[in-house]
Amino acid sequence: MDEELTVDTLIANLKDKDDKVRAKAWQAAGKVGAAAMKPLATLAKDGALEVSRSAVRAMWAIVRYAGRPGADGERKATVDALIGVLTDEGQPVQLRRDVVWMLSEIVRDDEIGVDGAAQGLANPDLREDVRAALQRVGGDNAIAALKAGLEAAPDDYKPAIAASLRARGIAVPGVPDVKLKPTKQTSVKPVGR
Amino acid sequence: MKRREFLTTAAAAVSLPYLLPGEALAQPGKPGANERLTFGHIGVGGMGGGHLGDMKGRANRGEVNIAAVCDVDEKRLANASRVAGPQADVYRDYRYVIQRKDIDAVVIATPDHWHGVQTVHACECGKHVYVEKPACCTIEEGKAMVAAAQKNKVAVQVGSQGRSTPDCHAAITYLRNGMLGKISKVTCWHYQSPGEDNPRPDGDPPPELDWDLWLGPMRWRPYNRCYHPGSFRWFLESGGGQIRDRGAHVMSCALYLMGADQKGPVSIEAKGTAPTKGLWDSAVEMEVVYTFKDPDWTLVWAQPGDKPPKGDQGHNDYGAIYHGDKDKLILYGGDGGTWTEKKARDFKVPAGGVEVYKSPGHKEDWFAGIKTGRKTIMNIEGGVATANLTVLGNISFTLKRKIEWDPQKQEIVGDEQARRMMSRPQRFPYYL
Repeated sequence: MDEELTVDTLIANLKDKDDKVRAKAWQAAGKVGAAAMKPLATLAKDGALEVSRSAVRAMWAIVRYAGRPGADGERKATVDALIGVLTDEGQPVQLRRDVVWMLSEIVRDDEIGVDGAAQGLANPDLREDVRAALQRVGGDNAIAALKAGLEAAPDDYKPAIAASLRARGIAVPGVPDVKLKPTKQTSVKPVGR
Repeated sequence: MKRREFLTTAAAAVSLPYLLPGEALAQPGKPGANERLTFGHIGVGGMGGGHLGDMKGRANRGEVNIAAVCDVDEKRLANASRVAGPQADVYRDYRYVIQRKDIDAVVIATPDHWHGVQTVHACECGKHVYVEKPACCTIEEGKAMVAAAQKNKVAVQVGSQGRSTPDCHAAITYLRNGMLGKISKVTCWHYQSPGEDNPRPDGDPPPELDWDLWLGPMRWRPYNRCYHPGSFRWFLESGGGQIRDRGAHVMSCALYLMGADQKGPVSIEAKGTAPTKGLWDSAVEMEVVYTFKDPDWTLVWAQPGDKPPKGDQGHNDYGAIYHGDKDKLILYGGDGGTWTEKKARDFKVPAGGVEVYKSPGHKEDWFAGIKTGRKTIMNIEGGVATANLTVLGNISFTLKRKIEWDPQKQEIVGDEQARRMMSRPQRFPYYL
């Protein structure tokens, strides 16, 4: 019978040189739970290429396990731990983006702080991921955050937030729908002309 | 002015009605039976290059026009321009193509994560669409594709060509005439997905590639060689692995033969192994069990699964076995190369038996759908039903648990996290 992982053994195994050892660890990380999130984020930030990737996979494994039906306590603890990573500006932007998508799977609408989420929509590094996450959740708080973000957004980003609101069935007059507007030119010339 | 524009705008008021039968006259959005269709090609590498070559042959025979080629990779685009000829305009941004009034239809052969958005946009611009398989990457995308095609009354053909092959026709005719009896199980087999042997760090995209436009609806990430060229297939957010690549062929045939395009499964349970390193994350080996009700049957996707002996034609790399209470039948392949057993090929429909529509060819069937308004053989509803199987299988694999599906509402039930995974909102400005 395999030894049950702890936070320490999980982190140690994820640092192993053997990809099979690392894979076995991140695949079993779900049961280690929320307590591993912060150390995993640190490992994702500081680890070598494949160690860092394995740490992120372990974070995802915890999210996927915590979100199972009937495990609300684990889910809530995981949400809290993820918010800790998200709000840590010392973490790499790409990891914080990943965390936003992790939250989009398991955060409950009534756990979304409207002001905090609207601030995320004002952060140029995170806003696209925050917008998508709020659209995915789509409850009252998520929509209130999108509306607040729309109010505060610069003109060139208003169409993005408006698109999310429209996807949720909310009319947004006065903001253009730009999805069919071409923007990219090629430098290739037709052969033979 | 193009002939169709003349017909639609001037209402064909004078001489043309005397030259053509009435049913052959064009209506808005529906070219006449004798009219040469004009195409734009979006995505011209890989399968897209094959489609362009095929269509060029038709153009050389005077059957079609090619008005535009489009790609986010300038080397591929330049090569496509050479193939298409000087009359074809070149574009990086597909939105120029779908808004051209002189183009009747587009062939979309971009990576999978673009299929939903581009198909919806093309339909909204009144274009008929041939879109490579699998149709959609998420359940939400699939619903939008069906709605856009229906609302805009355009013909969509999804590129699972198996349904148009003579042997698939032979197999469905054999089944529909009761030769297998009651079918309780369909088991698919396919070789496994590859792992990434040489993980590498992110880097700069090649100069010929517009990485932003390649990513399109997917969330932002730095370029890595493991995504492009030619390897989007192996990560879940886009290609999704063998279950989506060839599953969209093999299981397309299964839904077709079982008459189940409109009847999704009620539960999906996957198990499998993930790659141990690299960025590719689709299952290396996997088995997915789909349970259908009314009638009750089970569909099993397995890579590798139990491979039957090679038949008297073609390969046995993948395919499906149909298990009835009277007999069983093997359908090898499932894509453009599809073969069945001799007993089905030799079967003659008895008097009073069931005749099944025989596709004249996958593109020809699409052209007929454009010109007559009838459903194509791999219409968007069937394409989405097939893709949904692959999406649901991958969700179950990702979550490591069984999921329940309401085929009427087209929703995952009883699992909020899995339900959230039915959608993946697109990155701005590449949204549905």
